[in-house]
Amino acid sequence: MDQMAPTAQSLASPIPSSPLPNRAGIGLKAQHYQEILDTQPNIGWLEVHSENYMCTGGPTLKWLTALRERYPVSLHGVGMSLGSAGPLDQAHIKRLVDLDRRIEPGWVSEHLSWSIADGVYLNDLIALPYTAESLDVFSAHVREMQDALNRQVLIENPSSYLRYEHSVISEPEFLLNVVSQSGCGVLLDVNNVYVSAHNHGFDPVAYLDQIPAHLIGEIHMAGHSQTVIDGRTIRIDDHGSPICGEVWALYEHLIKRTGPKPTLIEWDTNIPALDVLLGEAAKADAIMTLCGQRETHRACIG
Amino acid sequence: MLALAELQSSFGEASLGGDTITLAPAIIGDGLQAEQRLSIHRNNTTVLLCEVLGTTYPVVKKLVGEAFFDSVARAYVRAHPPRSPCLFEYGGHFGDYLANVPAVAELPYLSDVAKLEWAWNESFYAVDAEPLSASALAKIDPETYGDLIFTLHPSLRLVASAYPIKEIWDVNQCGADPDARVDLNEGAQRLAVLRAQTSVTFIELSRGGFEMTAQLSAGKRLEDAFLSGQRLMADFDPTATLSVLIRAGAFHTFFI
Repeated sequence: MDQMAPTAQSLASPIPSSPLPNRAGIGLKAQHYQEILDTQPNIGWLEVHSENYMCTGGPTLKWLTALRERYPVSLHGVGMSLGSAGPLDQAHIKRLVDLDRRIEPGWVSEHLSWSIADGVYLNDLIALPYTAESLDVFSAHVREMQDALNRQVLIENPSSYLRYEHSVISEPEFLLNVVSQSGCGVLLDVNNVYVSAHNHGFDPVAYLDQIPAHLIGEIHMAGHSQTVIDGRTIRIDDHGSPICGEVWALYEHLIKRTGPKPTLIEWDTNIPALDVLLGEAAKADAIMTLCGQRETHRACIG
Repeated sequence: MLALAELQSSFGEASLGGDTITLAPAIIGDGLQAEQRLSIHRNNTTVLLCEVLGTTYPVVKKLVGEAFFDSVARAYVRAHPPRSPCLFEYGGHFGDYLANVPAVAELPYLSDVAKLEWAWNESFYAVDAEPLSASALAKIDPETYGDLIFTLHPSLRLVASAYPIKEIWDVNQCGADPDARVDLNEGAQRLAVLRAQTSVTFIELSRGGFEMTAQLSAGKRLEDAFLSGQRLMADFDPTATLSVLIRAGAFHTFFI
């Protein structure tokens, strides 16, 4: 699989100057629209799922537009299904391009996964087999998406619950190959690395350490749940609880190496009061302040 | 080795309740059966899509109870999975689907309530447009009113039922009087669903008014639309209906 190894040259191309501030942001939820607009909390930026705002009109789009006037926004897609063997949905690309023009986001991101089979949207982010075929399909789709948007996009590592017999390389290697073949950046989800590492028994630190800092445009942090199947614990990425201590420790490890990066607090189910999200964001900001500057490594606690 | 297209096809079927015979050998068990790993994905797909339906159809969910709703939603998801990742557009056939579910035959209004909730949903996400003002119409020579053709507001939807679905909807909203009862013998109800500004509202129309609005919506001249309404309702007063609709913002533009 030599042809799948990233080249030093391609990895050296840096992400353009960070379009989101190197601070914590929060996932924007309808429950919090009014409170954020009224109180204008001191958070770096907001992120939304692109698909929720692909409507032609109505109040949700008005809220987002009003909040965009006060905060940088990142568009995080869950429906492009870049890993599907079939062609990308051209109507969906058009809707994303329209939203991109309307919102002028700091980043547009998608997932290293697939969601559509035979035209059916499964509403799930499913891992790919890491093969040469998948790499060709995925990289071509990322290039197509970037060409349509006329901008670089970020690709996020998924949480996974299964692996395939015919995968030939590891997930981080696959992701770096996508980067070198498409010129995209990386959205590094620390919780997803932790969840997948637990589910498949690999070292999450080694995974994080494989991703060069200059490729990382954004970081995601979230809570997950656990379920027991046949006496075996599987961690499920449900974004429905506080970020656990182990994931915070991995984040600190990452930030010590990368310096501050735009860091999102994601919370999509059992959505708590805005203050809880702001508390998690403040925690990420504090870690970035303490550990983020390479010069101040020694001042870092823990 | 499964080609990617074949793997995804089999995976999609498995996630919607199909068998895993083709797919299972491609999955590393790693201490579990492949089927157990796939069940996590089946759960992701069906549970989350059922939640989407529950968000779009809260009144139906309340009327049938959570457990029954989940079972009927699950069957719907498998029969009519989404074709678009924009899930605010998902579930448009749920009302028709409910009309053919034998277990809810004793709730004959359920399908129409679902259609009202879908109309509400479509109206909420419809393209924004300026409502036509009454003053714009005042400039028109009354002699030519009959020739007017209206463009209705893009958020306008029409829903008719043999049951009082607006009352059923009202008493099942958060904060409604828990002791409120709806008399099903109140009979048929014809509604225009509209979001001229921020909130979706229901406008109750007479039999003639509903027919006239439907004809206007189909691009008919005002006079022809009025005559259609009058054929269904001898004492139909088009002026009252028009004034209600204009005040509510149900029209966008007009031309002659």
